[in-house]
Amino acid sequence: MNFAYYPGCSLHASGREYDESTRAVFEALGVGLQEIDDWNCCGTTALPSTNYLFSLLVPARNLALAEQKGQDVAVACNSCYVSLRRAKTVYEGNPVWRSKMEQALAKIKTNFSGKVQVRHVLDIVVNEIGLERISANVKRPLQGLKVVPYYGCQIARPLNEFAHPELPTEMDRLLKTLGAKVLRYDHKTKCCGGSHITTKEADTLGLNQELLDEAQMRGAEAIVVSCPLCQLNLDAYQEKINQRFNTNYQIPVIYFTQLLGAAIGVPLKKLGLNRNLVPAKRLVQKYIGEVI
Amino acid sequence: MPEIRTGVYVCHCGSNISEKVDVAAVVDFAAKLTGVAVSRDYKYMCSEPGQELIKKDIRELGINRVVVASCSPRMHEPTFRRALNAAGLNGYLLEMANIREQVSWVTLNPAQATQKAKALISGAVRKVRSNQPLEEKYVEVNPNVLVVGGGIAGLEAALKIANSGNQVYLVEREPSVGGNMAKFDKTFPTLDCAACILTPKMVEAGQHEKVKMFTYSEVAGVDGYIGNFKVKVRKKARYVDLNKCTACGDCEKVCPVNTADAFNEGLSERKAIYKLFAQAVPNVYQIEKKDKPPCRVACPAGVNVQGYLALTREGKYREALALVRENMPIPAVCGRVCFHPCEAECRRGELDEPVSINAVKRFLADYENKQGQPPVVNPQAKSGKRVAVIGSGPAGLAAAFYLNKAGHEVVVFEAKPEAGGLLRYGIPEYRLPKDVLKRELDYITDSGVKLRTNTRLGRDFSINDLKKQGYDAVFLAVGAGKEQNLGLEGEELSGVMSGLSFLEAANSRQKLDVNSDKVLVIGGGNAAVDAARTAKRLGAGSVEVIYRRTRNEMPAFAEEVAEAEREGISFRFLTAPLKITGKAGRVTSVECQQMELGEPDESGRRQPIPVPNAKFTLAADYVLVAIGQRVDPLFGGSKYVDIETNSNGTVKTNQYYLTNVLGVFAGGDMVTGPARMVDAVAAGKEASRMIDAYLRGETMPEREQPAKGQKEPLTGKKYYEVLRHRSPHLAVDKRGWRDEVVAALSEQDVMAEARRCLDCGVCSECFECVPACHAQAINHQAQDEYVDLEVGSIILATGFENLDPAVGVQWGYRRFPNVLTGLQFERLSNASGPTGGKLLTEDGREPEAVAILHCIGSRDKNYQEYCSRVCCMASLKFAHLVKEKIKAKVYEFYIDMRAYGKQYEEFYNRVQDEGVNFIRGKGAEVLEKSGRLVVRAEDTLLGAFREVPVDMVILNSALIPRRDAGAVAHLFSIQRSRDGFFLESHPKLEPIKTATDGIYLAGTCQGPKDIPDTVAQAAGAAAEALEKITAGRVKVSPITAYNIAERCSGCKTCIAMCPYKAISFDEERKVAIYNEALCKGCGTCVASCPSGAARMRNYETDQMLEIIEGVCAV
Repeated sequence: MNFAYYPGCSLHASGREYDESTRAVFEALGVGLQEIDDWNCCGTTALPSTNYLFSLLVPARNLALAEQKGQDVAVACNSCYVSLRRAKTVYEGNPVWRSKMEQALAKIKTNFSGKVQVRHVLDIVVNEIGLERISANVKRPLQGLKVVPYYGCQIARPLNEFAHPELPTEMDRLLKTLGAKVLRYDHKTKCCGGSHITTKEADTLGLNQELLDEAQMRGAEAIVVSCPLCQLNLDAYQEKINQRFNTNYQIPVIYFTQLLGAAIGVPLKKLGLNRNLVPAKRLVQKYIGEVI
Repeated sequence: MPEIRTGVYVCHCGSNISEKVDVAAVVDFAAKLTGVAVSRDYKYMCSEPGQELIKKDIRELGINRVVVASCSPRMHEPTFRRALNAAGLNGYLLEMANIREQVSWVTLNPAQATQKAKALISGAVRKVRSNQPLEEKYVEVNPNVLVVGGGIAGLEAALKIANSGNQVYLVEREPSVGGNMAKFDKTFPTLDCAACILTPKMVEAGQHEKVKMFTYSEVAGVDGYIGNFKVKVRKKARYVDLNKCTACGDCEKVCPVNTADAFNEGLSERKAIYKLFAQAVPNVYQIEKKDKPPCRVACPAGVNVQGYLALTREGKYREALALVRENMPIPAVCGRVCFHPCEAECRRGELDEPVSINAVKRFLADYENKQGQPPVVNPQAKSGKRVAVIGSGPAGLAAAFYLNKAGHEVVVFEAKPEAGGLLRYGIPEYRLPKDVLKRELDYITDSGVKLRTNTRLGRDFSINDLKKQGYDAVFLAVGAGKEQNLGLEGEELSGVMSGLSFLEAANSRQKLDVNSDKVLVIGGGNAAVDAARTAKRLGAGSVEVIYRRTRNEMPAFAEEVAEAEREGISFRFLTAPLKITGKAGRVTSVECQQMELGEPDESGRRQPIPVPNAKFTLAADYVLVAIGQRVDPLFGGSKYVDIETNSNGTVKTNQYYLTNVLGVFAGGDMVTGPARMVDAVAAGKEASRMIDAYLRGETMPEREQPAKGQKEPLTGKKYYEVLRHRSPHLAVDKRGWRDEVVAALSEQDVMAEARRCLDCGVCSECFECVPACHAQAINHQAQDEYVDLEVGSIILATGFENLDPAVGVQWGYRRFPNVLTGLQFERLSNASGPTGGKLLTEDGREPEAVAILHCIGSRDKNYQEYCSRVCCMASLKFAHLVKEKIKAKVYEFYIDMRAYGKQYEEFYNRVQDEGVNFIRGKGAEVLEKSGRLVVRAEDTLLGAFREVPVDMVILNSALIPRRDAGAVAHLFSIQRSRDGFFLESHPKLEPIKTATDGIYLAGTCQGPKDIPDTVAQAAGAAAEALEKITAGRVKVSPITAYNIAERCSGCKTCIAMCPYKAISFDEERKVAIYNEALCKGCGTCVASCPSGAARMRNYETDQMLEIIEGVCAV
């Protein structure tokens, strides 16, 4: 099993620990990840509103690069996942845009057949590697750590591929396999606002407050995420939310790959668990048994 | 051949045609075509003067072919045919060229339109030349009418026809008529109570002498054509005699099974024997039986597991045990040693864990013992026949017990000092205490069975002796009690024993010297594990079991192995013995070979193969060999009677358990080889049926067929998570030889376990209802019946269903409590519903706020695009009912308000005045927040996003076609429209007829509508049927297919193709027979016939070619 790895901008910046933990986990499980050489930003949710053709070309280039190596693409960020898939879906399904894309790509001497698959890291872990293999590799079960699985919206919508659009179970099942206690979480695919945190802060803080509210109400000790945008909003702005809404949330927001890595015995220093703004120290000490 | 003189008439159709087509040019063009004697135009050809033009020309100009270029033949072909006939010319010498729907209405460019009009007329003119005059045909009409569906539409139609004096057959699938309307509370806009206006019609139909009702029935087959339908109706078995049941309800009181009440939309439960609702017509009960539950199917003895669990649940332990004894005469034994295949199949296991069925059975048996003397079986009248049963193991005991019960004299001959077979001499006392075994045996002997121990077949008597002593039949059940030898060197050493002999000695309380260090047990079955655990109890220092395969392939019960390990017994897998070595005649060690697994053998298990260079030695002071059992070849004393055996020593029997010697039967391990206790009991019981028949001189019954299991998903009782109760086990350090390891569950736990049963078979056949019914109306053996009816017309009034709102996760249906469908709310509000009409949340409170959501699944491209028509009014009705009953706030989330009917708008105003809040924005999402439900919507009038907290949400979900609408349409050979409802002939002018003559639609099966429209349509359907009945005969179009038999090759292609089942096959002449009454002239058969035998009147091949030539010539 080998994948072309598309980290996306966030994973090389604010979401660094997602990148670290994903690589570490894939290495430990013997799955190949080769970062796409000279990849570019996917354009994310902002670009389609400005120039639609451009927003298709930008991710398509990355897919073309992966195609040259004959590999499918593994992507970790929900938003990059949607951008890359949109380029492929439009290319395959819409002959008008397809010909425009082909013309434009030809100008940079890139060709793209659309055959490359785009897979989210969560999809690969649960459906390709499989929970049985993961279970066999669990060395440090999470001892009932209470978590809520927060998928974010873009992993499930639009055009859901592997996850149910409203109530997916992939992360739930994975976390259960790792020994965590997965709590009910009705907000599992509700939007965190994404990059609106920059332009419409007040409303977006409200969205995130709702997410934190249910997590607290359910008694979660951590919110587990699969997207760096969600992680940033929930983690970095938790203090601001507390100030604005007069709440006292203190819930660490951790990537599922970090918990997966910890459970299968990857050394903690490779998982970036010390990067959280809402500290995960106590949780790590209690459930994983190490001091970071 | 008279000269062909064609008249061409081009219509303007007002300006419909003339605004696009240059009519004058077309008339000129037509006049020049071959055979055209006159070419005219007129503004409205279909009008009186227009038709008069044609008639005049026929009379005066000798026109003998007519082409009318106008609208679609579907509009006016009959009109023009009549005109020709009136003028004395056969109406089928007409051809129409459609220059409206196919030209002027669909062509943008006038030049192109004119050209196309010319082409079509050219084709028509050429074709009509070779039209033949055709005679119209008539078929007689049977005055009986079939109405399918007993809801308000069906009832209305049935009553109209019955009141006209004609016979109606009303077929209704549910146990009672009434349909969906019977579930409603009040109806809009008058707020009449639905039952009050419906039940009089139900009763009237039920009592009408011209209405024959078939309730709980379905139409199984339809053949024939208009006026002459042959219908097969399947009357489902009610298990209750309609004519005897008085609906007293005594049966319901004693029924132990609850299941979801579908009439109350799942809000409550009802019994397996039930009446659909209080005012049911017919007013009788019926029993719901699903396929046999998997527990019953899995039990080799066929014990009615569901039945005895249901009775236990009611505290009826006696009755439960009696039910067990119908198939298992040794329940105390079974509840301890059975491997319970029932639990492996228990459907509770699909939800959490299987029911502890075995433990319940043990409790029942032990409970009876505690209460004192169990009731003794009273056999029927004595038959005067004698049976000898050889062997008192489970097979022999079962055969003896049931034969005695059947009235025969039974004597059991047992070779050993005491009875029980392997139950006594094989199974150790810590699994099956001897006093328990004794009371089971006493029960059997107390019932009349005689027992002779220490009497061995072959040594003390022979089968011939039995014959001489007057025994009429013999049942051989000596088991497979001979141990299998290893066949290895050293097996004869002292200290090496067969596991069986070891167990027999221990069970006979003989002294066994096992106070030694190492006991090695060879084998992987229950005997090996029993021997190991026994050795441990008798003081062995260490016990190890070696087995040549792995844990997964061990035949021993997993529980026994687990307990053995807990007791400190070790298991060494993939180890096979090679040689036993000793010193001074006594065993000292066993040389072993390491094995690994290879390919599977004939038992399906992987073969063990030796690993090269991997031998080792294990020290042993005692070696117990338990590698399998065989039938003792000396059992028969074969020099007296020759019983045929197989090569492995087992006895050959046929499907009636009969050996090659007449009157000598055999069953159990001696026939099958080593099997389990319950298999032996099953064999004994089954054999007793055969022997009983044989003794009475009757034909022996066929063996019971394996019942089919359940495939449908679980519905029925509500599920609450209750985990399985585990039987307490004795602490390991207290486990002596006589100490029973597994203790019984407490009575409380047993009740809880019985309650965990999901009753997946619904009726458990416990038969408690039978004696409770004083009218003796219950018959559990009833079968479905079939009735053949002959009718002339069929009215389909099969109704609708509601979309399950769970398809849209966002509406919270079945995710959150207190989210209801409209029909559920109707039941809640209905005085005869589950809460007696009180509006309560699931936890019994009155809601403070209620939200009513419109358009759930309607007007929605994701589900149904259409509007369901009635929900706006239903929503208003719900709002009104809430306001009337409780002091709650009511919010209606709507998109539009559709109040189109009589008094509807006035009702809308009234409800607004009652203070209901109307939010113009579809309820987008239902959430749970801080213990309440919250509805989110965009309030488009306010231009704001709203979140409204409520306590109850009512979802008005779409009216959809019934889930089997496709199958029903196929059955009646009708079509469905794109939305899935049955297709009417014409959406504006013919909403009742279908494309299949004689089949009419009434009610919501044709499309969503309210009750007034339904009733009107039903009356219309009745009128359609009565029209045909009054006419007495029906005209059938003569443009039909026919076949030239001489050309027919009998390939049957046309028969498969015909959508109207109009073609049959003459087996003698091997040609197709065309039923021209059924034929609709679609032409499919003609196109598909490879022999050119199938033809269409007035659409012959050369005529089709003429059309093509004519069109292409322009």
